[in-house]
Amino acid sequence: MRSRKITEKAVSITAAIGSVLIMVMVIANTYWASKQAISSTNQAVSAVSAFYLESMADRRARTITNLINNNFDYMKKAVSVIDDEKIESQDDLRVAIGKIKSLLSLNRFALVDEDNIVYTQYTTYTGGSRHPFLANATLDDKMISTVFLYGSSKELCLAIPINVKIIGKQFKACFVQININDIVELLAFDDQESTHFALYSTNGGNISETELGQLIGTQNIFDATRQNISEEKWDSFRDDFANNKRGTLTFTINDVVETICYEPVPDTGWELVVMIRESVIQDQIREISEKNLSANYMQIVFLLVVVSLFSAVLFYMLRRVANDKLDEEKENSKVFRSMANTDSMTGVRNKHAYLETEAQLNNRIREGTIDKLALVVCDINGLKYVNDTKGHAAGDRLIKDASALICDHFNHGSVYRTGGDEFAVLLLEKGYDTRDEVITAFNRQVEENIKKNEVVVSIGYSTLQPVDEQLYDVFERADHMMYERKKELKSMGARTREFDDSKPQ
Amino acid sequence: MAEKINALFRKILIVAFSLIVACISSGYSTRTVSKVDGAGSVVDFQHDLDDYVPAKKKYNFYFTYKIVHPWWDAVALGMEDAQKKYLEKGIIITYEYMAPDAASYEDQTKKLLQAQEEDYDVIGVDVADEEKISPIIDEMVASGSKVMTFSSSDASPDCKRIAYVGNTHNYQDGADLTEALCEKLGYKGKVGILVGSFGAPCHEDRAKGAKDTIAKYKDMEIVAVEYDMDSIDKAYELAVKMLNDNPDIAGFVCCNMSNPVGAARAVLELESKAVIVGMDHDQEALNYLKDGVIYCLGVQDCYSIGFDTLQVAVKIADGNLPGDLFPDKTDENTTIVYQEEAAPILEILYGDVSQ
Repeated sequence: MRSRKITEKAVSITAAIGSVLIMVMVIANTYWASKQAISSTNQAVSAVSAFYLESMADRRARTITNLINNNFDYMKKAVSVIDDEKIESQDDLRVAIGKIKSLLSLNRFALVDEDNIVYTQYTTYTGGSRHPFLANATLDDKMISTVFLYGSSKELCLAIPINVKIIGKQFKACFVQININDIVELLAFDDQESTHFALYSTNGGNISETELGQLIGTQNIFDATRQNISEEKWDSFRDDFANNKRGTLTFTINDVVETICYEPVPDTGWELVVMIRESVIQDQIREISEKNLSANYMQIVFLLVVVSLFSAVLFYMLRRVANDKLDEEKENSKVFRSMANTDSMTGVRNKHAYLETEAQLNNRIREGTIDKLALVVCDINGLKYVNDTKGHAAGDRLIKDASALICDHFNHGSVYRTGGDEFAVLLLEKGYDTRDEVITAFNRQVEENIKKNEVVVSIGYSTLQPVDEQLYDVFERADHMMYERKKELKSMGARTREFDDSKPQ
Repeated sequence: MAEKINALFRKILIVAFSLIVACISSGYSTRTVSKVDGAGSVVDFQHDLDDYVPAKKKYNFYFTYKIVHPWWDAVALGMEDAQKKYLEKGIIITYEYMAPDAASYEDQTKKLLQAQEEDYDVIGVDVADEEKISPIIDEMVASGSKVMTFSSSDASPDCKRIAYVGNTHNYQDGADLTEALCEKLGYKGKVGILVGSFGAPCHEDRAKGAKDTIAKYKDMEIVAVEYDMDSIDKAYELAVKMLNDNPDIAGFVCCNMSNPVGAARAVLELESKAVIVGMDHDQEALNYLKDGVIYCLGVQDCYSIGFDTLQVAVKIADGNLPGDLFPDKTDENTTIVYQEEAAPILEILYGDVSQ
């Protein structure tokens, strides 16, 4: 199996595709999570709504029951109070009834005598046809009825049998009438308009005239729901009303899901119905979810922008790092090359550098692009002797002294250490032009050094001749001259290898 | 707040029904004495007291009417509305509103004479029997009592009662209902008439209007005229008897609020095709109207009768006589309603609480 080389482009494309995939997955995941949140919340809302509605319906039904029971108690006490008062005329009776009515804040508080004559604060009337509880000759027990006579306000009538004699008449009943609007206000006290509620008769008629939401309004609840639920459900719903049962019903009107909870109000024949529109909550939840989703989208966009910016910065930094590294590499390369071309002891160019330069110069010589070139070949006298007699440290110092001497004089030339005690100096341009003076001065210095027993360097030199094909041709001539000079210096007292070898110390 | 919404809702229903009436009024407006104009309504629940400033802060009245019956309960509601509005102005009005369980001029006479002995500012009478009660009223007025008549039956034309508030067109109501029946029957067929209480002016006048109307058409015949004495049960029995005696009876003219109910029960029971026309707003009758058992009903505005009666009584109590402040006869409307108006009227008058 042959492995393929992974290119930089392939890496970049893979990174880009990977980033896009990750982003798509993040977005999809966020969207799915939002949808799941909405769905879960809706289910929770339905469950909580049903519980909330049942609780509210039950509480309100009990409120009405308490109101009824309280009024029955008040009536008994009121009759007792009236019975105890000294009532001698119809006017006295009216005043007493007025006091009770005012005390109990009732729409109507009245007594009924055995002839079905009704006594109220301001009127006395024959009420046999007006009050349902007077339909029978006698009233055996308390009676609750709903009255809505000829456009009057709908009222809850509570009657109890009594047995008192006032102003010579036998009274058989006492009753109060409570305006259903007052009951509605009582029920709405803690509502804060969070739910809809209405009171219904067993035939579905709205007694309270409160709107059960916009869609049902004040319509007969059976008429309003008939087209929106199955016949079976609708029949069951009606049966519940007819039999004073509690229950819940969910239906859809104009694509809006409604849930109602109904609770019978004991002894009244009423059903108290409360409704909370799920869509209201759902809309709110949806709004919140959409806000969250929008925030998520914003986060993603922000993330994308940040990632893009970060990538750009990272890319820039990487590029900078790469460039710096490249520069460093170049510098290192330069240093290494410099190190490779420099003699560590003397600091002048080494033989490697000389060979490189020689190759370059050979090209120029062949090309004929150079004419002023002089090569000085130098050799340190007596190095072996110093090494052998004074140690390598002294030998090294001698090399350094020789290098310093050469560099001091040939400051316009390129100095190379080409061997242990050998140096070469290339003279171009100014160095070439001043070669004679410099060489003369150098030789003079060397000769003085012999006397002072200091470093002695034999040099020979030559210039490029038209016949020369390579630098080595020049070198040979210079080297030859150097040996001649070495002999000359020997004669002046300078140490040489041959001398040293012949006269061992 | 809830009361305001309630009142607004009711007003809307009234306006809606008024519009219905307005739309169809061209078809029967000429049939009623009290012409139903475009803005008229069956029952006007929205009343305000007029600008009259009562002389006293407290009044005590006595009213007596024919019989304990829902029709007069409706009148009572109008009176109570006026009483509350006076109370809001600081004027206390107390009154008695009494009737026997069965229509009886003797009972009414007794009640009037008893009332005369009490210190009432005004005594109001819904005349049970024009012939018998009018002289009693005259005697009471002669002895210093302030007596007025109200509801649907005035006293005799020469009676000295001070004023009357109520239906002044009973004859025409009977004629209009009967005309509608004749038209429905194609001006031919046998008709039975249920009058109501014997001697009650309103019932007798309507019956007379019915008789005179039928007499105009040669192919129509009155086969029976009976008095049910404002009893639904009696009306039912009489209607059954009429149908048994005359199985081909084509229609019934019912002159009060009870007898259309009795006639409808009989027609349903005997599966007769007879067309029924009758009076007023009995809930059962309105349901029969809604179901098409009754063809039409002449509905009197009882609420306004009650309200105006109390206003006129206050003025009379202050010593005023008919003139600029109030007329000799304060007329109230009767509106003939048909099947399509039954449901809104039921809603206005009874809701559907006890249907």
